[in-house]
Amino acid sequence: MRFSTLGRAGLLIALALFAGCRKSASDTAAIKVDLTFAPSPPTVGKISATLTLAGKNNQPLSNVEVRLEGNMNHAGMKPSFADLSEEAPGRYVGTLDFTMGGDWFVLVTARLPDGGRLERKIDVLGVQAR
Amino acid sequence: MSVVREIAAPSNQVATFDLLRVPALGRFLRWRYSRIAFQVPLLFVGMLMVAHAFWGPQLAPKNLAALLTWVHFRGLVVVVILLVGNLFCMACPFMLPRELARRWFHPRWNWPPALRNKWPAIVLFVFVLFVYELCDLWSDPWWTGVLIVGYFVAATVVDALFTGASFCKHVCPVGQFNFLGSALSPLEVAIRDKDVCTHCKTHDCIQGRRDHSGETDMSTLKRLPVIQRGCELELFQPNKVGNLDCTFCLDCVYACPHDNVGIMTRLPAAELTISGTRSGVGIFERRFDLTMLVTVFTFGAVLNAFAMISPVYALEQWAAGVTGLRVEWPILSGIFIVVLVLEPAIILGAAAAVTRWGVATREPILGVVNRFARSLIPIGFGIWLAHYGFHFFTGFLTVIPVAQNAVIQAIGQPLLGEPLWQLSGFSAAIVFPMQVGFMGLGLLGSWIVAAVIARDMSPTRTWSAFAPWAVVHALLFASAYWIMMQPMDMRGTFLGA
Repeated sequence: MRFSTLGRAGLLIALALFAGCRKSASDTAAIKVDLTFAPSPPTVGKISATLTLAGKNNQPLSNVEVRLEGNMNHAGMKPSFADLSEEAPGRYVGTLDFTMGGDWFVLVTARLPDGGRLERKIDVLGVQAR
Repeated sequence: MSVVREIAAPSNQVATFDLLRVPALGRFLRWRYSRIAFQVPLLFVGMLMVAHAFWGPQLAPKNLAALLTWVHFRGLVVVVILLVGNLFCMACPFMLPRELARRWFHPRWNWPPALRNKWPAIVLFVFVLFVYELCDLWSDPWWTGVLIVGYFVAATVVDALFTGASFCKHVCPVGQFNFLGSALSPLEVAIRDKDVCTHCKTHDCIQGRRDHSGETDMSTLKRLPVIQRGCELELFQPNKVGNLDCTFCLDCVYACPHDNVGIMTRLPAAELTISGTRSGVGIFERRFDLTMLVTVFTFGAVLNAFAMISPVYALEQWAAGVTGLRVEWPILSGIFIVVLVLEPAIILGAAAAVTRWGVATREPILGVVNRFARSLIPIGFGIWLAHYGFHFFTGFLTVIPVAQNAVIQAIGQPLLGEPLWQLSGFSAAIVFPMQVGFMGLGLLGSWIVAAVIARDMSPTRTWSAFAPWAVVHALLFASAYWIMMQPMDMRGTFLGA
């Protein structure tokens, strides 16, 4: 019985390690994500957001569905969303609404052409109140 | 002078509305397990918050611990205190593990005499305010979870070692906040008929009810087991004044053999106009620790709100430029010392000095400050209400999408539906007039309390005694109004943005 329990635990650990080592459908760690705003530094209100995506060797990543979600660091604030459209290869633009001054973070969610999913958190510090 | 006497009916029965007389609600509240019925759901919510703090997303707007602690709990506490009373202490979940612990660990020690005051709580109050700003607790779920767990541990350990409600009375900073705020509440635990207390021999409301089974010898009676404890905060009901130190635990209600304790309506803030000895508290106007607690409560309200607007960052950057410091804690310490120590010392000292001159009294300056300190409570509470109310009223619905999101992340199924991220609360434009109203009511309350204190101090020169304190209250109102007028600029970055 004891061996059985130990054996099950070992099997679970092995499975977990295997799952952890398994390569995902799309290796997104190497993808370079750059988010800029105009005006910069960003101000309260609806402002232009530009996201550039590049893979290995700085190759622009095209045909990606990109969504931004802006949140304040403080809880209790409604998030802002923006679906970006591809303006040029690897360059996506849209409008994000910063509803209040202060520190924000933007969650970038992208669905890659190969089915992979990219998620990044980008801090946007010091959005300036008008 | 005594408000209690003024509202007493000729038969010595206090002629006010009694919540415990309300048919179904009153019966439920008189049930000895009613407090536990409130505590258990909050303990469950607390456990969920702790779990989400440590294993949920480390993003404050998506984390139940950060959201419920810094938006809903704080907001609901001040709103409920204003509308009803100190219900959070009544439903305090930190007390449940303490009750369990006391089944195995019977406290042997009495709280040290040197600490039988508010100084431990004052230190912790300032510490929590400081850590909140330094570590940006509002944006950190993990540390918020540590704070909640730390609270459970502290309450359990203190009350497992020391008798009575030592944690509530001397240590808990949230409790002190609630005690002071509930001076503005419309409800108070109080006796129904003074004559009944006058003829009472057993004083079960403070001694606890014992299984005497016909025993009448008082010396023997005290050795019998307590089957219902009395007030652990040392508030003897017939001499109790107001809500200070009252946790609404209702032990006195359960213990009174004459069913003579109720939850009565009263005039909010009237207790602040009463001078003299209070059971379990002593003489308010002679306790410097209470003056300091009120000072930290009031000026801390201004500081806590000030830290959320951009001028504080400009101030920190200026201080960093002057001193060459590149770490925040010494600069933040300086701001705390200025706002919580130097500024009150100068402003309150100056008001007391002018009062002394105006009424030609030789009473020491500190004595005058102690006398008028309680007049700061209404404006202080108004500022807390305006600040916490802003977060609560603008974001009370955000708990819905965050809970929906938490369920999806926990079990992978949208049992509560897909997150409705568009939900938030009232717009800031609607909430701002409410904030001004809360602070305006606080200012009015402070002026009324100060006017009564001034009349007691000098019936012939009331205006001379009142005017300096009216100016202090107006200055606090003006500074808080200016802060609330600023765009909220919630940053956690020092020298970074």
